[in-house]
Amino acid sequence: MIAPSAGGGEIVAGTLAATVAGIRTVAAFQLRRLLTGPRLAMAAVGAVFPAAVMLAANRAARGRLDGDLTVAMLYALIPEAVCMLGLLVTMCPAVADELERGTWPHLAVRPGGRRSLLLGSYVAAVIWTAAVAVAATAIALPVTTVADPWRVGRILVALVVVSCVGRAALFALPAVIMPKRALVASVAVALVVEYLAGVIPAVVNQATVSLRLRSLLVAWMGWQRTLPIEMQLLIDPQPAWVQLLAVGMLVVVLLTAAVVILDRRQFPPSEEI
Amino acid sequence: MIEIRNLTKLYGPVIGVNDVTVDLGAGAHGLLGPNGAGKTTFLGLVTGQLRPTMGSVLVFGERPFGNARVLRRIGYCPAADLGERTCTPWEWVTYLVRLSGFTGPAAKARANAALEHVGLDEAARRPLVTLSKGMRQRAKLAGAIAHDPDLLVLDEPFVGLDPVARHELVELVRGWAKTRSLIVASHLLHEVESLDASLAVILGGRLVASGTAAEIRGLVDALPAELRVRCAAPRRFAEIACGIEGVEGVRIEDGLVVVATRRPAAVLEEAVPRAVDEGLGVSEVVPADRSLEGIFGRLVRLHRGVKA
Repeated sequence: MIAPSAGGGEIVAGTLAATVAGIRTVAAFQLRRLLTGPRLAMAAVGAVFPAAVMLAANRAARGRLDGDLTVAMLYALIPEAVCMLGLLVTMCPAVADELERGTWPHLAVRPGGRRSLLLGSYVAAVIWTAAVAVAATAIALPVTTVADPWRVGRILVALVVVSCVGRAALFALPAVIMPKRALVASVAVALVVEYLAGVIPAVVNQATVSLRLRSLLVAWMGWQRTLPIEMQLLIDPQPAWVQLLAVGMLVVVLLTAAVVILDRRQFPPSEEI
Repeated sequence: MIEIRNLTKLYGPVIGVNDVTVDLGAGAHGLLGPNGAGKTTFLGLVTGQLRPTMGSVLVFGERPFGNARVLRRIGYCPAADLGERTCTPWEWVTYLVRLSGFTGPAAKARANAALEHVGLDEAARRPLVTLSKGMRQRAKLAGAIAHDPDLLVLDEPFVGLDPVARHELVELVRGWAKTRSLIVASHLLHEVESLDASLAVILGGRLVASGTAAEIRGLVDALPAELRVRCAAPRRFAEIACGIEGVEGVRIEDGLVVVATRRPAAVLEEAVPRAVDEGLGVSEVVPADRSLEGIFGRLVRLHRGVKA
């Protein structure tokens, strides 16, 4: 008999426990995959470039860069730019990578393999990108002249986590709907949804992560009263917990939709088409 | 074990599998067909990667698509080489076993046992990129069997292997088939035959024949073979051929005389010497196509009811 008899076969009990175990397994595997020279070099560039920009800005302002402007720049560079770019390269290829490597059929025939792949890749993308962004915060803050770097650091790290959790879910949809064009589609989603719809003062921006991030930044920095009236149109004045709840709901809806789509997706064997 | 009724799979206007009805019981089965015949689509439907466009497929009595109960009992080894390069066979197999629902320690133990079984224990901790194609094929096989499935499905497992690796893999798979069920898709008739498997021949998405190897050969032999002869006087050669017992049809195509017969050797022995004696300038004699492609072609003709 070819099947191994050694080692026994303890199965993870319960559907939820099995799903969580599958997600953990995929996340760990994906994080190991990311530990390559080129990926680490890219992460290092991502971690250093906000500090480089802040240094250049400080030099241009001859060391008199306004504290609030510094925080706004750090926000634009780290929870926005670094997180967005990091997630584009880690979350978008979640399915495309498997198709390209020829590993998709191995995973698709495992019970719960599809959703484990998606959710595990999501967790890995969030952890990896958040780690890079937190490193970027740690490197950038010392080169600035903000009054309370610890407080600003804590706020930026919290925003990084919210940005990664929300936007990775947003990019999960293009990753499963059009895996081979996921990067292009995600860039389009980022531009159209996050940066166009997100700044339209209407109901449509309620479903964007960027509105929640801006609102959280304003709330946590205590800028509500000093914010110019035209800028107040770009934020939601409700308390921080409402913003976090909104992001949480958005994540649940987006990931559920992505899981349902991936569970039903069929990838024909290309050699026969 | 597998019940398939009027199974059809379309990719837009392209037909992957066309109206296949077949029952595959427990045991070893070979799925034969040339490249692009629909074998991988058929296996994709059986292993729950694809949904039928029309018809139904039941594996262990249930629809396999998205069905964890069925998937747990299937081991699948796809045709494509593993593009996963940096991880080791041990990491890869452990990963797959964990995704089959096993706990960490159990997955590691099963990965070790499976890799040892396929003879990859010594190379188990080397990156896949450093392994030969045969070793990577074994790693794939270990991943397919480590969770102890009831049905093992192998898609073109012998492609790209040298004769020694091929022989070893055939032995491994044959060992499996003694106790479990097996489906092997291949375009290599002799290797599937060596597994003592019942055969199903698929072509253009259609199941054109099924049975034992002997039954399939019998079907093929029941069809007239076609000899092709090139000579300076094709009409005269056709006349000679018509007078030989066992010749069922003669036609001339592009200057070639095509002779349909169930006794090709006899025709060669009688007609060609006479043509040479008469100075018909025989320059080429192409015997009946006995390659797998030729057999497939003849099976298709049989399937369509063409007698000669």
